[in-house]
Amino acid sequence: MYEEPGCFDPNNSMAEGVYSGFPQAMANNQKQFEENLELSAEELSYHHHNHQEDTSVSAMELELQKYLSFNVENCDNNTYRSHMMQQVVDDRNQLLSYDHSNWNTGDIGFNQDDPQQNGHRSFNINSLPQTPDLLNLFQLPRCSLLPNSSISFTNSNHDTTPLGFIEDLPASDNTSVLYDPLFHLNLSPQPPLFRELLPSIPHGYNLPTSRGDANSLFGDERDSNGVKAYQDEDGGMLEFTRDMACIVRGSGNGKKKKPFTTERQRREHFNKKYTALRNLLPNPSKIDRASIVGDAIEYTKELLRTVNELKLLVERKRCGRERIKRHKTEDDAVGDVEQSYNGSLRSSWLQRKSKDTEVDVRIIDDEVTIKLVQRKKIDCLLFVSKVLDELQLDPHHVAGGHIGDYYSYLFNTKIYEGSSVYAGAIANKIIEVMDTEYAATPPTATSI
Amino acid sequence: MEFLGSASDALCIAQARRRQVYDDNSMYKSKNLHAERRRRQKLGDRLLALRSLMNKATIVEDAITYIQMLQRNVKVLSDQLLEIDSLSVEEDEKPTRDEINASEQMKKYGIKEDVKVTGIDGNKLWIRVVFEKKRGGIAKFLEALTSLGFELTDANVATSKGAILVSSCFKGIYGNALGVEQTKKLLQEIIRNM
Repeated sequence: MYEEPGCFDPNNSMAEGVYSGFPQAMANNQKQFEENLELSAEELSYHHHNHQEDTSVSAMELELQKYLSFNVENCDNNTYRSHMMQQVVDDRNQLLSYDHSNWNTGDIGFNQDDPQQNGHRSFNINSLPQTPDLLNLFQLPRCSLLPNSSISFTNSNHDTTPLGFIEDLPASDNTSVLYDPLFHLNLSPQPPLFRELLPSIPHGYNLPTSRGDANSLFGDERDSNGVKAYQDEDGGMLEFTRDMACIVRGSGNGKKKKPFTTERQRREHFNKKYTALRNLLPNPSKIDRASIVGDAIEYTKELLRTVNELKLLVERKRCGRERIKRHKTEDDAVGDVEQSYNGSLRSSWLQRKSKDTEVDVRIIDDEVTIKLVQRKKIDCLLFVSKVLDELQLDPHHVAGGHIGDYYSYLFNTKIYEGSSVYAGAIANKIIEVMDTEYAATPPTATSI
Repeated sequence: MEFLGSASDALCIAQARRRQVYDDNSMYKSKNLHAERRRRQKLGDRLLALRSLMNKATIVEDAITYIQMLQRNVKVLSDQLLEIDSLSVEEDEKPTRDEINASEQMKKYGIKEDVKVTGIDGNKLWIRVVFEKKRGGIAKFLEALTSLGFELTDANVATSKGAILVSSCFKGIYGNALGVEQTKKLLQEIIRNM
C-alpha cells in the first residue's frame, strides 16, 4: 500500500512557487496532516518498540517534530511526485537516503534539501510490521559502511504508479537503487521467511540457507514483481549480505548480472578460487582458507624478493660482460677483471617445504646459508654436497646430525665467482634431490 | 606506506638541500616538503581505503593474477640469466686460482693431512680427518665412504686455510664395523686417492 507522499522543501524556489499557490490548501490540510504525522509518529514508535536501537527512534521522532513545525503541506500526488523526482535528480549528491514506506495512515517522505544544515540524514522509516527486525539487522552494517555520497532509494513493493516513477529515473539512479539493502527489505513478499534467514547470518558471510529457501524467496520475488529492476537485486542482495565491505558495485561489477542462481554455486566458485590459489603455492600445508591466504602472502613476498634478486644478478652479469668485451676490444691488459657490483648488496631468502624436507636458503652477497631438516633417513650429507657442487657452491662449513626424528644440517657456502645461482634455484634443486633420493632408497636399507 | 613516505622524504630533503644553493628561500622548500608529504599521505590513505573496499572474491582473484604475474617474471628473468650465462663461457679460469692457493696455503701454515680414529661406545668410531681442500672435495670424500658402506653421522666439517677438517662419528651403513686400525688405513687411502 502506498499512500501519497507528503513532501516539503522550504528552501527550494520551485517549492515556493507551489507553496504560494496553495495557501488555503495549506491551512486546511495542515491540521489534517499534522494529525497524520502524529499518528504516524505513534506508529513509528509502535514499530520501533521492539527495536534495540532506541536512539534511532528518538532521533526520528525528533526529526518528525522538527518538520512538523515547518509548513508541511500535503499536496496533490502527481505534482509532488514529479517535484520530488526532480528534487532527487537535481540534488542527488546531497541526499543520503530516504524511504517511501508503507504506512497505513500517513505517509511521509522527506526530501531534505537544506543548505543551512549540511548534514546527511538517513531516515529508516519502516512500517511493515514484520520487517522492523530485518531493518534492525541490516541497519548495523549499513550505518558503518555507507559512504557519504551514495544515493539510495528504497521503494515499496508495488505495481502502482510509484514504481513507474522509479523506473523513470535515469539509468544510473536505477543502479544505485538496486544496491541499497533497504530496497530489498521492502520488497520481500514473505517477510517471516526472510526473518528466519537473517538472524542466522554471521556478519558478512554467506547466507547459510538451504538452497530451497533461497530459491523460493527470490523466485517469488521475481515472480511477483514484473519490474525488471528487481532482477539485478537478487545477486546484489546476496552479495551485499555476504560482502559487507562492497558498497558501490554498480557498473563496476565484472561478473554478469546473475552469476549464481544458488548459494551453493557461489560457495563452490569461491572454493575453486581458493584451491586455485593454493595450487600456485609451493608450500601448501593446510587446506583451510586462512592458511591458504597466509601462505599466499608469504609466497608473494618471496616472489618479490626473488624478482629483485634476479634483476640484480642480470644487471651484474650484463655489466660484467660488457666490461670483458670492452677489455677485449681495447686490448688492455687489465690485471684483475672485477665484477662490477652495482653497489647494492644482494640478499634474499626463501623456504621450501616438501613432505619430508624443509629447506631454508639465505643469501647475502656471495655467501649462502642452507638449513636442511630432513625427516627420513637418507644420507643427506652426500647428496647435498653433490648438489652444492653442481650449483657451484663452495661449502665452507657443514654441521649437523641426528636430532630426535630429524636430521638437521647447516651448510655455510660461498658462491664461486662467476656463478649466477639464485636462491630459488638452490632450494628447488635441493628439495628435488632429496625427494628423488628418498624415493629411490629402498626401505630395507634404513638401519639405525 | 610510512616507510616509503620517509624514504621519499629523505630524497626530498636531499634535493632541497641541493637546491638551496640556487634559492635561499628555505621557507619555500619546507612548505613544499610539507605539501608533498601531505599529498603522498593522502594518496596512500586513499589507496588503502580502496583496498579495503574490495570484496573477498576480487581479493582472491587479484592475488592469483598477481602471483602468476610474478611467477612469469621470475621465469623470464631466470631465462635471461641462463642465456647470459651460456653466452659467456670465459669465466672458467677464475676458480682454479682459488684452488691453487689451497695447497700453497696448507704448506704455508704447516697443515698436514691427518687421520685420527678412536673407538667410542661399542661399535661407533670417531674420526678426525684433515685433507687438502679441492673443488668438490667433500663430496668426493663422502662418496668414497658411501661406496665402501660407511657413513658419517653427526658430522662437522670446517674449512680453513686451504684445508678441510672433518670430525664425525663413523659407522657402517649396513651394520658392518671395522676396527680402529683398519678404519684409519682406509681413510688414509681415500685421502691419498683424492
